[in-house]
Amino acid sequence: MARTRPTEVRELGEAEAIRRAQQGDAEAFERLYRLHSRRVYALCLRMVGNTAEAEDLTQEAFLQLFRKIGTFRGESAFSTWLHRLAVNVVLMRLRKKTLAETSLDEATEPDEDAGGPRKDIGGPDLRLSGSVDRVNLERAVEQLPPGYRSVFVLHDVQGYEHNEIAVIMNCSIGNSKSQLHKARMRLRELLQEFERSRAREERQAAKGGSGASD
Amino acid sequence: MLEEQPDGPLSEAASAHVESCDDCRILWSDMEAIRTAGMEWGSEEAEPPEYLWLSLRQQLQAEGLIREGSVQGSWFSAWFGVAPRWALAGGSVFLLLIAAMLAGYQMNEPNAASALPMRMSIAAARPKLVASDLGKTLDGDLQRVFDSLPEGNPVLASSLRENLGIVDNLIAVCEKSVLEQPDDPMARDYLYGAYEQKAVLLATATDRSALEGQ
Repeated sequence: MARTRPTEVRELGEAEAIRRAQQGDAEAFERLYRLHSRRVYALCLRMVGNTAEAEDLTQEAFLQLFRKIGTFRGESAFSTWLHRLAVNVVLMRLRKKTLAETSLDEATEPDEDAGGPRKDIGGPDLRLSGSVDRVNLERAVEQLPPGYRSVFVLHDVQGYEHNEIAVIMNCSIGNSKSQLHKARMRLRELLQEFERSRAREERQAAKGGSGASD
Repeated sequence: MLEEQPDGPLSEAASAHVESCDDCRILWSDMEAIRTAGMEWGSEEAEPPEYLWLSLRQQLQAEGLIREGSVQGSWFSAWFGVAPRWALAGGSVFLLLIAAMLAGYQMNEPNAASALPMRMSIAAARPKLVASDLGKTLDGDLQRVFDSLPEGNPVLASSLRENLGIVDNLIAVCEKSVLEQPDDPMARDYLYGAYEQKAVLLATATDRSALEGQ
């Protein structure tokens, strides 16, 4: 049995791993997976909010990557290529689910009459008090249209720059910035709605409590 | 302005406006709160489970993307590299057998579970028993299962022996790995997992033989 010590695995650089993976080397496949799986999995998880689905999508993204690795010529960064694949896999899944938007524009600019982002800015009563509850944020992100969600997760959560997002999402840098702003505006509205609904429930509970004691 | 520069920095004019306009100041503060919450979310670790790579590797092998005989990577790959074909194929056969047995069992006698003489509670036993205790317990159960097998069902007996052989091989490999790396919790987990598979197989076979003997 041929065994490789962990030190040898660590020494295998990405470029060498890509070259060897193109020749079908199992160790190289594993090295590439170990190098990038955390980030890809985190991206999928934050996009879909479900571990089982995130695992499925991560596997699908890597499968597509390894099927196409022979065509990788190094014109772009390997990680960008992989994340573009991953985002496409996730968007395809989300679009299948919603049976809705099929293009970036359609996916990121919902009908304003149907609850899309309003152009007006919030009044003082809508302030988020300088902090955002994590559970509410995750709920709100899940309600974002796929395109907004991708840009927000890639930039604000995963830490990508707009030039990287432009490559991953196949759009302009300006478009990435604009979509991010719209995504945050929509998130703000959703978070405010959650806050209002919570306040309403508290008032009703208080009324119910005082009514019961009368 | 925010749409073009969603992350700032604000121009001098914009800063002056934000200072003097309550609505814009609140909007800017809310955007910052959302951005900060996103960054905090992104700083949390999201680790893909180990079985994801195993599943992916199996798929790559099935598609012929991994070259046969290539060097194995991590200790786990090296460990399974002893006999990847039997480990993976055996695992599949094993799961199919379990599924078929359970399906057959449920179709034949859906209410018989409570009347069975011996049902193992693996989840309850797992934290209490060490590996050697588990091994002894299972070997004793093994003899009882073979003694109780109806003579008229050679297919079940043969299938059980064959799959026990597969699981026993897996246990042997796992034990070797634990001996080599006693401080590795993953190695111990896999050993317990292998014992658990054996116990489930035996319990299922016992159930089946009890039903047939009635």
